[in-house]
Amino acid sequence: MNKFITGATVAAMLMSTTAAFAEQCSNTTWDKIAEREKIVVGVKADTRPWGFRGQNGDIIGMEADMAQQVADTLGVELELVAVESSNRMQFLEGGRIDLMIATMSDRPDRREIVGVVGPNYYSAGTNAMTPKALKVTKWADLKDRPVCGKQGSFYNKSVEERYGAEVIAFVSNAEALQALRDKKCVAWVYDDSSIAAELASGQYDDFEMPLTSEDPNPWGIAVPIAERDCTFGRFMSGMQYNWHQSGELIRLEEKWGIQATEYLAMQNKRFADWLAE
Amino acid sequence: MTKPNNFAVLKPTPSSASLQYDPMTVSRFLGTMSPWTLFAIFAVLLIWPTIASAQSGEAVRPFNALWRWMPFLITKGFLFNVLISFLCLVIGTGAGVVLGLGQISQRRFIRAVSWLITQLFRNSPWLVILFIVMLALPYEMTIFGEVYYYPAWIKAVLGLSLPVMANISEIVRGAIRSVPNTQWEASEALAFTRNQTLWRIILPQCFKRMIPPWMNWYAILTMATPLVSILGVDDVVNLTRQAIVAENNRPELLMPFFGFVLILFFAYCYPIARLTLRLERKFAVKL
Repeated sequence: MNKFITGATVAAMLMSTTAAFAEQCSNTTWDKIAEREKIVVGVKADTRPWGFRGQNGDIIGMEADMAQQVADTLGVELELVAVESSNRMQFLEGGRIDLMIATMSDRPDRREIVGVVGPNYYSAGTNAMTPKALKVTKWADLKDRPVCGKQGSFYNKSVEERYGAEVIAFVSNAEALQALRDKKCVAWVYDDSSIAAELASGQYDDFEMPLTSEDPNPWGIAVPIAERDCTFGRFMSGMQYNWHQSGELIRLEEKWGIQATEYLAMQNKRFADWLAE
Repeated sequence: MTKPNNFAVLKPTPSSASLQYDPMTVSRFLGTMSPWTLFAIFAVLLIWPTIASAQSGEAVRPFNALWRWMPFLITKGFLFNVLISFLCLVIGTGAGVVLGLGQISQRRFIRAVSWLITQLFRNSPWLVILFIVMLALPYEMTIFGEVYYYPAWIKAVLGLSLPVMANISEIVRGAIRSVPNTQWEASEALAFTRNQTLWRIILPQCFKRMIPPWMNWYAILTMATPLVSILGVDDVVNLTRQAIVAENNRPELLMPFFGFVLILFFAYCYPIARLTLRLERKFAVKL
């Protein structure tokens, strides 16, 4: 028995030392990027204007531009991989991509899976696009009614739980919007900046965004979780800090025709260089 | 399927076989369509948005958009699906033949294992197999210290090959079983070894019989390749979706774009189905 206890203690000690070693940075992904001289970034290809296909099939958009700047700063080649809301975290976990810039809202449960690093580069709230004829004025009006959404969005759940709406989730927004037009649902729940962009396109004149935006939620860039507090994570924090300070994100926002958000202006002021004139 | 055949000749398929399980259903369904179907689908596609957006007078716009994206969708999307289906067929056939021969092995253990693998992959949903393969395999592999990275679609090819392998295995086993047992006995009487009997007498007869169901599975496989879009592989369906987004998500694009994908698959699989049926008729044993 004594022998067993000694053995168990030794084993426990050995295990704790291994755990302590695991805490240290191995910088696997960082080294991999340097070794193959290429960074693989996961961006959206189905979310205009953040990431979408250009006429020749290449992925372009605001987040594609950000990824290009990351690659340029590192001095490596860039490979963009199209990810979807439903698989972006798995791609990062599985090592398919090194870095994820894919319109992902920064949520506590997601932070347990991927390494989200601050300061957050963008922020959007949840809102709904509804037909004007329905005269929806408050979130509670959606109770027990079908609401279209997109698979993988966190607010699908909150809209269901908080307001009792019945969410029908589609793979892409085009299908969700078609369902809204076909009157299969009474509203399309998505982030307010995208809804504003759709309304501004002039194709949705019979629709409106009547509700107050909920849960303003910052978006996060993610690295593999093991590297959140290591070289790669710290580097991406630096990139984001710099984007905010130099006003680069505001410039990109303008370039891609995204409605100017208060969040970016706020961050630009917050991170302003105190010596700069 | 039928009772074991005790005669030394191949029997023709019974004409009252309509209620029996027919592994060629897909090819028969596709192949018996009139060649005009393609044009009919095309016409409906052309007319539908015209009616739907007749008031706005913008009926041509979706087709202008489709015209712009067509080269991209075909070269980057559909040809990729064809490549996936082709690779799956090669891997699936190779592995399937081995597995099929394993199913008629004289060693009980090999027979049991081959049977189990065949049944397992033949009776599982393709999507489930795909998910397991996609999630279970890593994205990089270290062989002799060298690290190789491979893209997601290679995993998708492996995932789709498994059910194809199992079905080809059944085709091989079925074809060998369809040769009357008496031929085995006769060749044994003529002092052929088992291997000689199999490779020189049985398999040459099976080969022709296997071609139609094999092509049938190729058509099924090709039509199943869009499954990989769910796993984030940029196949024709995913790229179509992304093209619609790039065209500002206009809902009136859904029908023309996905209709175009339908036409692509139909145009590719229809000739295969026709040819399959022709070969089946040609190779059918006549008395």
